[in-house]
Amino acid sequence: MPLHTKARSFFRNLFSVRRQEEDLDREVREHLEMLADENIRAGMPPEAARRAARMELGGVEMVKEQVRDERMGQWIRSVFSDCRYGARQLRKNPGTTAIMVFTLALAIGATTAIFSVVYGVLLRPLPYAEPDRIMAIFEVNTRGTWSRLADPNFDDFRDQNHSFQAIAKYTDTIASVSGASQPTRTVVASITPDFFKVFGVQPIIGREFSADEAKKGAAPVVLASYGYWKQYLGASRDLSRSHLKIDNEDYSVIGVLPDGFQFPSDVGLWVPADLGGENRSRTSHNYSAVGRLRDGVSIAQANADISAIARRIHDTSSEQNDYLLMDGAVVPLQDSITGKARPALLILLGAVGFLLLVACANVANLLLAQASVRERELAVRSALGAARGRLIRQFLTEAFLLSLLGGGFGILGAYAGVAGLVGLAPENLPRLESVSISMPVLAFALLLSTAVAAGLGAFTAVRATSGDLRKALVEGGRGQASSQGGQRIGRMIVAAQIAITLVLVIGAGLLGRSLMKVLEVNPGFRVDKIVTMDISLPWVEDPKAKASQGIFFSKLLERLKQIPGVRNVGATSGLPMDGGLPEGMFMLMTQNEVPKDFAGFEPLVRQKQRIGNADFCVATDGYFQVLGIPLIQGRLFDERDGADSPHVAVISQSLAHDRWPGQDPIGHTIEFGNMDGDLRLLTIVGIVGDVHEYGLDAPPRPTVYVNLFQRPSAAITVTMLSDANTQLVTSAARGILQELNPEVPARFRTFSQIYSASLGSRKFNLILIGFFGIAALLLATAGVFGVMAYSVSRRTREIGVRVALGAGSGDVLRMILGQGLGTILIGIVIGFAGSLALTRTVESLLFGVTATDPVTFAGVILLLVAVGLLACYIPARRATRVDPLVALRYE
Amino acid sequence: MDSETTTLLQGTLDLLILKSLVTGERHGLGVSRRIHQITGQTFHVKPGSLFPALHRMEEEGWISSFWGESENNRRAKYYRLTKAGRKQLEAETKRWGRISWAIAQALETA
Repeated sequence: MPLHTKARSFFRNLFSVRRQEEDLDREVREHLEMLADENIRAGMPPEAARRAARMELGGVEMVKEQVRDERMGQWIRSVFSDCRYGARQLRKNPGTTAIMVFTLALAIGATTAIFSVVYGVLLRPLPYAEPDRIMAIFEVNTRGTWSRLADPNFDDFRDQNHSFQAIAKYTDTIASVSGASQPTRTVVASITPDFFKVFGVQPIIGREFSADEAKKGAAPVVLASYGYWKQYLGASRDLSRSHLKIDNEDYSVIGVLPDGFQFPSDVGLWVPADLGGENRSRTSHNYSAVGRLRDGVSIAQANADISAIARRIHDTSSEQNDYLLMDGAVVPLQDSITGKARPALLILLGAVGFLLLVACANVANLLLAQASVRERELAVRSALGAARGRLIRQFLTEAFLLSLLGGGFGILGAYAGVAGLVGLAPENLPRLESVSISMPVLAFALLLSTAVAAGLGAFTAVRATSGDLRKALVEGGRGQASSQGGQRIGRMIVAAQIAITLVLVIGAGLLGRSLMKVLEVNPGFRVDKIVTMDISLPWVEDPKAKASQGIFFSKLLERLKQIPGVRNVGATSGLPMDGGLPEGMFMLMTQNEVPKDFAGFEPLVRQKQRIGNADFCVATDGYFQVLGIPLIQGRLFDERDGADSPHVAVISQSLAHDRWPGQDPIGHTIEFGNMDGDLRLLTIVGIVGDVHEYGLDAPPRPTVYVNLFQRPSAAITVTMLSDANTQLVTSAARGILQELNPEVPARFRTFSQIYSASLGSRKFNLILIGFFGIAALLLATAGVFGVMAYSVSRRTREIGVRVALGAGSGDVLRMILGQGLGTILIGIVIGFAGSLALTRTVESLLFGVTATDPVTFAGVILLLVAVGLLACYIPARRATRVDPLVALRYE
Repeated sequence: MDSETTTLLQGTLDLLILKSLVTGERHGLGVSRRIHQITGQTFHVKPGSLFPALHRMEEEGWISSFWGESENNRRAKYYRLTKAGRKQLEAETKRWGRISWAIAQALETA
């Protein structure tokens, strides 16, 4: 059958309706005339002939309808007519329609925006070939803590496993890179040869490095990311003359990776990992590891495989201490990247889902109210022969129109919402760059709108068509019985709204109180008026080169102090709340116990009374002064502590308490050489206050501070306490650095930026859940108001009778408020139970309050009751002003 | 109208309409009367079935229509077979032959 004929008929049926109808009408009428003619010719009198013809035809309209039913695209036309009718209904009450569309747009938009973040961060597959086969591999130590891998352990995993077709280790650092168009601070990843094979990528220009080039002592080579190549290597296809100086070492550029390959995140360059040789310790965890599973190997099998190897290492290693692995773990790379963000994002999604429910409840209530006004119309249509199914379809169509309108505006809103969310999102939210309104997100929004439409439509349709419609007709559209049922449903919906809102607002309240508690914590340092400058010099091991770096730093700090307005200058290897410090194991020992080399340490490591754990921080005395970290006992670093004098350390109060309980730690000597390779002992000379290094909500960590001028660190952050304008200080400092060493790039920030970023996720969650809570509260208030106002208008006559029989306005007020309060309390009770069950899910986000914090619960319940009663009060007031005479004549 | 009305088997109406148009174009009443005639007064197709079928078959492309003059000078819509309609008639005829043969066989063997 020719398709084009069909298509032509289809479109003719849809679009040239009038001509078709005329044709049909004429054809059937002519037919009738011809029948009559025939009968007349057969000898009937004209009158009888016509009647017989009509009998045979069986009704012009009926025949026409039968023909129409037979036509193609008929169902579309009836949907169109339903839509036209529905649109007319919606236009009839423009105010209500606008409110419903706005409510749905808000809820669908918010849900879509949150979903786009959840999708981008958690669900969207990583942009690599077969991403679900890429695994992250961890060591698990005796305390159950997961950690990165030590070199010999990685080698054993790589050589002994049967589960991975490729496995690689990697780590990244920020290095000073010169030799390209300008010196930069670039993220440089150190990787082993199979790294790119794990991700299934190959250089688009040049080549990967060979196994030989990855060995100790090989000529250094480097691969560039597409972005780095474009920006700093002039996008040149000829790499033969491209050389880069990374930390003063010369590297030849041998390849460029494809656009979009960025692993680890923000990486610009990849270099071989083991050019300087491997670290023989099994407890120095310096590398992350990734692997691609062999075909047919499950994650569980890979886990068992790695686990067995790990246990073998544990049982045979001579380094028996808390840092030695005793197990291994294999998890999908995607989970390991996004694992920390998952709970908070899912909670947000749940919260916005609640908001959606509250919004739908409001719209359902409005639709029900409209439907009860339309009872009479429904009754007429039903009496004229419309089947119940047809009426239900009408309601569904209207709900679809509403939801699609709402969904359309919602998606528009979501575009703005996503931009806002990405701007608001904390820096530590992974994969933020992949958050957008993508096709799957649009599909989600569409599906959501459809589901909302189906739910709302089905609900109102069944409600509105379930009563006895003929009775409605008899009652003249003021059906008391069915409308009372409708009001009961309305009140149930409002109670449900209150319940859900209570859960949301309690969640927001708990997060809000947590943030307040966090802000009450004394960080242990000053935040404002501090400008920071990050610089990194090349990593060197030679003591002489190191000493000259120390001299460079001291010169730099001296010059920076001269900047007008700068009161004090310090430097540290790691600011609080800025990524953390290296943690390690130190040993108490005296000068004559120091072993000659690292091997001599092994027996000492097993003597538990010598061991301590602490973060290792390089600092200057100015650093403590700039941040206002108080000296509690002893002294800070000073002129006595030159590069060649005995090395000294300052320790934090909590370390003093934990490691030297009841003793004075000052004067004790410790060995902490595994952090910077310097085996000279450190004499403790002072104790300083604790610092919340990892954020206000994390306990302060025991810390050992060493002197930058004795133990220079290549990468430091300079802190400048200044009253002057940040811009001025920044440009002056940049000029001084340029003068002293033009090859060293710097990054400037203010400490308050860093500090507030550390509260970023907490604020993000609070702002969003708070917003959802407030929106739900407003919607629920509107819901209470709507139902009560409707109820009062329905009961006008009853109230009139009561007033006529002597009820005072106080009685009426009490009656209406009592009814409202009843509904509110039912909602509160359900919501309270729901909150008890659900707030446990936010427990991980709380600080200083329990998930069932009585203050929050009581406060929010009071708030909701108050707001709810306020919403009842206006209709109640209106009820007290009912004039019995008017009311009784009302019907 | 004196003939008994036998219910048409599903699908046979199309066949009868196509067949009635083989000898030339006809309007609706003409088709109805022709069927009455060629089925030996067995089938009487009422307008309620006839017109929907005609319109459906036109949409299928088996017949086409045009406005013409009837015998007694009335304007009437005429239908005629298209190429596709002839093909369809052939196929339907074959199919019907097979069915009636099979049914006859079945009845005889009993």
